[in-house]
Amino acid sequence: MGTARIDEISVAFLADLESAGADAEAVEKVRIKYAGRRSGLLQDLTAALRELPKEEKRDYGLALNELKTLINAKLAEVKDRAPTATVTTGSSSVDVTLPGMQVVRGAQHPVHIVRRRIEEIFLRMGYDVEAGPEVEDDWHNFEALNIPPDHPARDDQDTFYLPGEYLLRTHTSPVQARVMESRKPPIRIIVPGRVYRRDSDLRHSPMFHQIEGLLVDEGITVGHLKATLETFLHALFSDDVEVRLRPGYFPFTEPSAEVDISCIFCDQKGCGVCSGSGWIEILGAGMVDPRVFEAVGVDSEIYTGFAFGLGLDRIAMLVYGIPDLRQLFAGDQRLTRQFA
Amino acid sequence: MIFDSEWLTEHLAGAPDLDTLAKGLTDCGCLVEVREPGDGAEKWDVEVTTNRPDAMNHRGLAREAALATGATLLPLEIEFEESDEDAAELAAVEIADDAACSRYVARVIRGVTVGESPEWMKRRLLNCGVRPINVVVDATNYVLLELGQPLHAFDLERVRGRKIVVRPAVAGEKLTTLDGEERELDGSMLMIADGEGVVALAGIMGGADSEIGESTTDVLLESAHFDALSVRRTARRLGMHTEASHRFERGTDPEMAAVACDRAAALIAELAGGRVCRGRIDVYARPFEAPQMELSIAALSAFTGLEIEAERAIEIFEGLGFAHERAGDVVRVTVPPWRIDIERVPDLYEEVIRHVGYDAVPSELPVLPTNPGQRNPNWELIDRARDAAVSAGLVEVMTWSFIDPETDELVATQPLCPGQSLPLDNPLAQTQAVMRRSLLPGLLAAAKTNFNQGQRTLALFEQGRVFSLVDQQPREWERIGLLVADEAGGREERFVRLKGIIDDLVTRIGLPGVSWKRGGSPWLDPGAGAVLQSANGTTIGFAGALSRELAERWDLRHEVAVAELDLERATKPPLSKFRPLHRHPPVVVDVTVEHPADLSYAELEGTVSDLASEWVEDLSLVVRYRDETALAGVVRTTLRLIYRHADRSLTQDEVNEAHERLRRGLVERLGVALA
Repeated sequence: MGTARIDEISVAFLADLESAGADAEAVEKVRIKYAGRRSGLLQDLTAALRELPKEEKRDYGLALNELKTLINAKLAEVKDRAPTATVTTGSSSVDVTLPGMQVVRGAQHPVHIVRRRIEEIFLRMGYDVEAGPEVEDDWHNFEALNIPPDHPARDDQDTFYLPGEYLLRTHTSPVQARVMESRKPPIRIIVPGRVYRRDSDLRHSPMFHQIEGLLVDEGITVGHLKATLETFLHALFSDDVEVRLRPGYFPFTEPSAEVDISCIFCDQKGCGVCSGSGWIEILGAGMVDPRVFEAVGVDSEIYTGFAFGLGLDRIAMLVYGIPDLRQLFAGDQRLTRQFA
Repeated sequence: MIFDSEWLTEHLAGAPDLDTLAKGLTDCGCLVEVREPGDGAEKWDVEVTTNRPDAMNHRGLAREAALATGATLLPLEIEFEESDEDAAELAAVEIADDAACSRYVARVIRGVTVGESPEWMKRRLLNCGVRPINVVVDATNYVLLELGQPLHAFDLERVRGRKIVVRPAVAGEKLTTLDGEERELDGSMLMIADGEGVVALAGIMGGADSEIGESTTDVLLESAHFDALSVRRTARRLGMHTEASHRFERGTDPEMAAVACDRAAALIAELAGGRVCRGRIDVYARPFEAPQMELSIAALSAFTGLEIEAERAIEIFEGLGFAHERAGDVVRVTVPPWRIDIERVPDLYEEVIRHVGYDAVPSELPVLPTNPGQRNPNWELIDRARDAAVSAGLVEVMTWSFIDPETDELVATQPLCPGQSLPLDNPLAQTQAVMRRSLLPGLLAAAKTNFNQGQRTLALFEQGRVFSLVDQQPREWERIGLLVADEAGGREERFVRLKGIIDDLVTRIGLPGVSWKRGGSPWLDPGAGAVLQSANGTTIGFAGALSRELAERWDLRHEVAVAELDLERATKPPLSKFRPLHRHPPVVVDVTVEHPADLSYAELEGTVSDLASEWVEDLSLVVRYRDETALAGVVRTTLRLIYRHADRSLTQDEVNEAHERLRRGLVERLGVALA
């Protein structure tokens, strides 16, 4: 045993290959004899390496590698020269009715799709996107927004409480207060985020998502609010939708408005989605109550502003026709996949 | 609140048809949500906002309807005769807490026959969802629905000492209310007592002992003004909510107390055949002072963005019952006692805008500096992480922010567990009692749901916040959780798939150079788990095959690999710099080595890159094969090297020579065999 054996095999290989010529079958036999995975001579030589004394291992290894390179290179050369198979036509043509190979793609949750669409619209209008904590204090969630303790409006926003005066925010509005506390007007922001209310049925989930808007500057009017909402809702749905503002009530805006769009499903003829009214309630809005400005240190003599908020889950349900809010949070990938 | 359409129009002269009336109300902010046929009239479900208790009765809503449709609100006419008997000699009233009760009006009606109410009254009550009881009680409920003033009728015989005292309860006092419940009272609650003890919860519900029954002949009628906050606190403490407390909590009209008392007395005298005793007992401890305000029409127009005529504004105030006086641009108004919501000038703006209508306001976009909008930087990075997950083929789920306490305890053993548990004081369910400290429980529940739906191959992620207490302060962190399950692959395939996703993700959020250290936590299979550390050694996540115990706990049918990463340290990745695109052709060469299993890939790759010629521009793993037939633990690894020179073509010989040097070096350095 030793490098002599390697040399012998090297010579034999070249001879065998020569005699095989261009016959593909014969070349394959040569390949199996020398480089076959199970019983090729190279395998034997490699196995023998383990039994050699240490001092011989190095030379043997190098020689063996040379042989391998040679064999592989020569076999590859012969293979390259072989004519390639011709493409057959006729009876073996592609069955074009076979299903296409499935693309494995990821998918965003519908609530996030809607959120990002809305963010895009407002970013184009020069609004910044802000975020705030989900665990809030009473001041930012309620008091700064003109909802003092024992205010009846707290009934409508059943709250989860946490140890030590904290709570889970019941709306994204506390971020309004936080931004106004820390920044001077003009302020132009939207705030998407997760919110919580202690309520659970077909139309209510203890956890849901909102997006909030706030604009504060000198000389902001009700007409500005109206035009902004119309522009936004046209961009989100279509230029054809009609936007209607009805007087409403929120403790942190004065005056307040409930905003409806003409039903996008029935052309206002009346359907299940709009309960036959032809209108779909879509968001709440109003002019910032001066009490809110005073609570957060904005001069209400100089500045006015407007705010609005809408439920992202509600919009997603509306746009995609999802009947049950809680299905959004069940973790079933079949839901998400539908909206990729 | 439900209204009876006939009752509503009864207060109006020149009322339009019901469609016009409903539209008028909706337009001025009293949304007529549902109209359905009732007994003898339509039943209207009208959404009256919390701040407008004055419109939570037929007359109040009729006032809005009149102004909205051009009809006229008819004056309230109450006619009855008084007997010679002086009410003040039959009963006495004392207010011991005038902060909580500013006025208490009472009347005495004697000789009533307590029977059923007439049909017309029962019909209206039923249309409004109120169950008729007897003529006296029905009359008080009727007046509540008509005028918004809650009333209470006592059987005068059962008012001990014929005396009413309005006072806070004494701790430990008890009262059995009309609903049969025994209530325990405390010093914060306002009571109505008689000469001996408590007979009613002020503004909420009467007591059973002084209830009007068939044997009642003499009635003491209460019509009071209680403080909104006081009633609200008591009702909340006792967990009660009644028609009366609903009104008082939102605020009632102190002046209406007397009018409503007369109206109810007149109805009782007419329908139950009693005699109304002479005079009202009226303790008016703190009389109402009407606020006055000045409104500039020019300021109102500027605020609205619509030129509003002073005449139109005045017409609106007139219709809403405000006294008014104009001096040029300024209108001075006096707020009527039922409008407890009007406190400041912007409240007046709202009244005008409500009735002018938003439709009349011209739309005009505001003009502001044209700076482009910016995403909050963290928000932007979080979306980058989400995008990385989506482009890696993962499907996003959203799961609850709260989990069950038992699962939460298990989270404490995770490497990223941020601090103490954050429990909810008032959870909806025990399974949602603690804020999540990890995204994995939600993802595992989602995996189970999907496996149960017949899915075998899964790739899920959730991006969201986790919460915990740190030094008694609640804190929250942005995280991303990943989960993959693949029927075809083994543990190692799942692991490397997850690792590939994470390596791409961390690069996209500016955390390159993450190192993978064997280990993890009891959450991971000890042989297939790793902790991730950022370049500066901070733990930013963990990843690996889910441990068997946890897979059993979640009852998962297939094996999964999971990971959770902290996104708080994400930063904007540096801008990529251009690298020249070499024109000369590459030479691709593979090298396959056979080595013991304890030689890690990292060591092998490190050695190869150490030994490789400077021409090697890329090195990658082609395939790794564990040879089960050979000696135990032999692994065959094929690496691919790309040789290229920046300025010229390499010859085959040059590459062969360089490659050969590498091969020889590997044998020498690692003692591996070349295959």
